[in-house]
Amino acid sequence: MRFNKRARGGALGMNMTPMIDVVFLLLIYFMTAMQVKSVSKEDVELPPLAGSQEQSESSLTVNVMRSGEIFVNGNPLTVPQLASLVGDELARVDNEPSRVSVVVRADRRGRAGPVNQIVSALERFDIRRVNIGVQEPRP
Amino acid sequence: MRLTSRSAKHQAKLDLPLTSMIDVVFLLLIYFIVTSSLIETERELDPGIKVQRATPTSAADLAPAVVDVVRGGPGFVYRLGGREITSAAELRSVLTQFENKIDGAFVRVDDDAPFDMAAIAIQACKDARFLTVSYVPLSAAP
Repeated sequence: MRFNKRARGGALGMNMTPMIDVVFLLLIYFMTAMQVKSVSKEDVELPPLAGSQEQSESSLTVNVMRSGEIFVNGNPLTVPQLASLVGDELARVDNEPSRVSVVVRADRRGRAGPVNQIVSALERFDIRRVNIGVQEPRP
Repeated sequence: MRLTSRSAKHQAKLDLPLTSMIDVVFLLLIYFIVTSSLIETERELDPGIKVQRATPTSAADLAPAVVDVVRGGPGFVYRLGGREITSAAELRSVLTQFENKIDGAFVRVDDDAPFDMAAIAIQACKDARFLTVSYVPLSAAP
């Protein structure tokens, strides 16, 4: 593409400013969108399912690796440590379990044992709902 | 940022080479467009939580629809009312035929079962339009 040279030498009144504005805006949008991919999410292979709802904002994202290890915000935790974290989160929202939203992102290739332990721990705090992360299958 | 217009005082010709900058910007733009499309969309399943207490309970306590993800035969199966189901499609079909959707469905998952199967069972219950779907851990540990 030749923007600034013309064979006939006539002055070309091509205004670059709006194009550059738009391109920079798009660039900033994509850079920001990339950053939104939260650090709380580990690289796990989620079950390829349609799910029942869009991704919601969670107060706690629990990653369960294929090996059964539990990670929260990049830190490996045991189930009692996770329970303590849930307790802290609950205290932060005036001990109202309905205000704590937990997303469990478990690797599809792993066993259900760690998820069962997490769910049981949540139930002890009277948290009655858990969001299970799934990956929308590609069309 | 004023790149093209200049005040009348400085009429000297400004030769700002835009081509290379535009090249770089377009390259970055294409890079971000491509990489962002590679990030796959995540969604969620939102089952309720139920935990079986120490008192022995039977499937009937959780009636009407109880899907067990348990060991059966060589691997793990979905067990629904004594019937063993191996495929997600069959499970979905059987659950769809359930008449009572109001009382909800329960997915009981063995500790050793693949998590994939648990998620598929929850999805099948959701697809069958049960009013509520609950996840019930079948843990050996208390």
